[in-house]
Amino acid sequence: MIKTFYEGGMGLTSEKQSVVFDFGVRFTKAGFAGEAAPRCIVRTEVRCSRSGQMRKVFDALNSDEQYDLLVDFIHNLYFRHLLVSPKDRRVVVVESVLCPTAIREMLAKVLFMHFEVSSLLFVPSHVVALSTLGVNTALVVDMGAVETVVIPVHEGVAVLHAWQAQPLAANAVESQIKEMLSEREKSKPSEGFANLTEANIEDIKVRACFVTTLQRTLKAEEGKPCPSPPSVKYLVGPDSHILNISGDIRENSFNVLFQQDADQISVSTMILDAIIKCPIDMRKPLAENILLIGGTSMAIGMGARIKEELEFLSASPQYSERLKIRSFQFHSPPAKGNYTAWLGGAIYGATDFVTIKSLSKEAYLRERKVPDWVSLIHNTYNAGTKRSV
Amino acid sequence: MALMFQSDVVQYVCTCGQLKPISLMYFCRHCLKLRCGYCVCHEVDSHYCSNCLEILPSAEARLKKHRCQTCFDCPNCLNTLAVRATTVSVRDPDDPNKVNSLKKYYHSCFFCRWTTRDVGLPDQAVQTVSANGWSQKGESNIQRINVLLEYVRLLGMQERHEREQREKKFTPRSRRTFTHHPGLTAAHVRKRAGLPPELPAPSTIRDNLAEFQPAVAKEEVASLPESIFTEELDIDQVTTLTQRLAQPETQPESIVDLIPSCKHLCTKRSQRCRGCEHNVSKPDLNPSSIKFKIQHAASFHVPEVRLVSVQPLIGSKECEIVIVFSNPSQQPTTISFITLEEAEAEAQEHTEVTPDTSVPQGEAPPSLSSLTRSPPVMEEPRPVSIAVTGDVNLPTADVEIVLAPKDDAAEYDDSSDTQQFHDDPQIVVHRRANKASLRLTVIPHADKAGQNCTIGFGFRYTYINRISTPASASFEPQKVQLSSRTFLNCGKIKESQ
Repeated sequence: MIKTFYEGGMGLTSEKQSVVFDFGVRFTKAGFAGEAAPRCIVRTEVRCSRSGQMRKVFDALNSDEQYDLLVDFIHNLYFRHLLVSPKDRRVVVVESVLCPTAIREMLAKVLFMHFEVSSLLFVPSHVVALSTLGVNTALVVDMGAVETVVIPVHEGVAVLHAWQAQPLAANAVESQIKEMLSEREKSKPSEGFANLTEANIEDIKVRACFVTTLQRTLKAEEGKPCPSPPSVKYLVGPDSHILNISGDIRENSFNVLFQQDADQISVSTMILDAIIKCPIDMRKPLAENILLIGGTSMAIGMGARIKEELEFLSASPQYSERLKIRSFQFHSPPAKGNYTAWLGGAIYGATDFVTIKSLSKEAYLRERKVPDWVSLIHNTYNAGTKRSV
Repeated sequence: MALMFQSDVVQYVCTCGQLKPISLMYFCRHCLKLRCGYCVCHEVDSHYCSNCLEILPSAEARLKKHRCQTCFDCPNCLNTLAVRATTVSVRDPDDPNKVNSLKKYYHSCFFCRWTTRDVGLPDQAVQTVSANGWSQKGESNIQRINVLLEYVRLLGMQERHEREQREKKFTPRSRRTFTHHPGLTAAHVRKRAGLPPELPAPSTIRDNLAEFQPAVAKEEVASLPESIFTEELDIDQVTTLTQRLAQPETQPESIVDLIPSCKHLCTKRSQRCRGCEHNVSKPDLNPSSIKFKIQHAASFHVPEVRLVSVQPLIGSKECEIVIVFSNPSQQPTTISFITLEEAEAEAQEHTEVTPDTSVPQGEAPPSLSSLTRSPPVMEEPRPVSIAVTGDVNLPTADVEIVLAPKDDAAEYDDSSDTQQFHDDPQIVVHRRANKASLRLTVIPHADKAGQNCTIGFGFRYTYINRISTPASASFEPQKVQLSSRTFLNCGKIKESQ
């Protein structure tokens, strides 16, 4: 009898920290639950063992390749960055609500079958981001690499019918920079332009560009542009070719997110549309609790510009009739924008919710499926009596 | 060692279906199967710093967030910083005329010339600076995050409490039977029963929850500085994304805010077979040692195939290739050829049989039974993803080629072999020590001209199993027949005239 207690004694030691992942299209955040910042923010890329080329993990051509890339990438995360054994450790994955089921299933398969993790919990990024604030209601604007996704969260529940997603994010800004540079290239060719890589464009965006104010944009549209900011000399390539980045590019490249396109959609109208789609009594609390997350929201002047835009647009004829709200308030979470969602997962992952709600290895091995709220098999009224598949 | 640099010439098929050169594979001596990096279970053995080679126990490494406390990385170029010493003269506070010289240390990067003085960090009086020597920015964040953590934890407790209230009448009383055992607190018993620790009273939870102050949204946001429109931007003063993300917590935007970051630790890893949970590779604990405690590389157990010479490959014409088999084990081994299909069928048969044989039912000692080893979780073996572009004429399965045992001394022995093997000279071209060169004919496919000619074959070999199972007390080496599949890339196929 005593012996069994000793064996049980192994369980008495404090449980291993769960690992929290936030896989992004461009950057992946990984760390441990209960910590204040991720251990690493790395590019979601892995060197392909066959070709020796860097491959973006979510750019795979078929599911087998996707599986291999994920295995290699997560292996690197565990053994190069987190430095712990994946086996028998809990995992929390912060996922977007719009994440395709195929990716979700594959991630579960990789983690359970290859890395033998003990349990897996998917948490929706928009909802857990609120746990970095301690509030229950907010309008969460996630500006990532590929898209900007706006989802209102009311009393801890995502208001899904009001969601907005548009490809207005880092990729759009970068293609705008490229376009502006190639436009200028026609009149003033420079050696640097030919050597530009995608990484260079991203670097230019991060280091030289900023989000300008609404007044300046409006004045420029009227044909009375303000004097543009000074240009920047940027060195490209190993031979240090000089590329001149004009003030126009620095100032106006981010404007692509705010110019209304043919359907009159921009980042700011997405926010307003999301508010309008919500019931009337939700609108005020949402407008007064806006949370900007995602790497693109960290651009200099982004918050100020969004605020100006919202105030300007809500008073404009386009919205003034439909929306009576004129003031907007913003949250500042105790984290940088690019890992706010991760931090939400890390806070959530350090609590009992992980033990209660995660999908255990045994359950996965039985069904070989991840329960999903959209699937009627898993989301019946009577959850107690589960129907067989 | 052409093998090390041309890893795609001869590839073996692993049990999991991956194609790997033999130098990257393991051989599990318990399951008698090939394993590769993909189908073994990797485990972190120990943590060490790659700069000062100090080992940190796992618990300590975890506390220190897997970073070395004495070595630093350059925040500018991410190489390791070096400690430099200088002498500074300080005026003696007691005697104004006397000047004392003091030794001071600062960190400098030998690669990009960045120093801690660049960003105004004070010089240190001791050589080994702890990380706390530098001001940690973002302290306020950590406090707030701890408050948030506590809040969410309380919310979780409240939810659990509600759930337990609902289920209370069904709670079996048998859970409480352990409490009269000496030395067991209620917390231990709960843990033992697989329950989370006892909850505080609901009123305490409610009171604590009421104390929490949620974040308040503000009307004002960080505005764009006016100066950005007029001042020249020195782009060298702005950090790159790589520099920012190396310090995820602070992500400084200006070069001036960079502080050295503690060096990440490295790990020593051991590899474990997934089928039987025996180690196939375990490194020495000491980080400066490159030896292994256990190292079952496939090249120590499985006969190695090398491609020696190839006649010009012309579509649908017979051409000869010469391959060498070498026996790495200390016992003679017999090799016979089989086709890929036969070898695949044998491999499948082998996988189906092993789960029963590896863990004999009812034979496990009772002390181990309570440790409840879960059945191995394994991905299904994949079909081999390579297209064969040439046929090979193999000697019939009854042609057996005996390979002499490996003898390290024979490598230096120039005298001709005295061993007599009754070989067919049509097949065996040459023999030396533990190696035999064989001649095979290959017919490349005519329609694959311009592509690489890939041929595949299986071979059986005898292996002496020296592992004694705990079930059978009498130890006796067993001779077993194993099979393996290999694919050879013989080079480009030429057009047939």
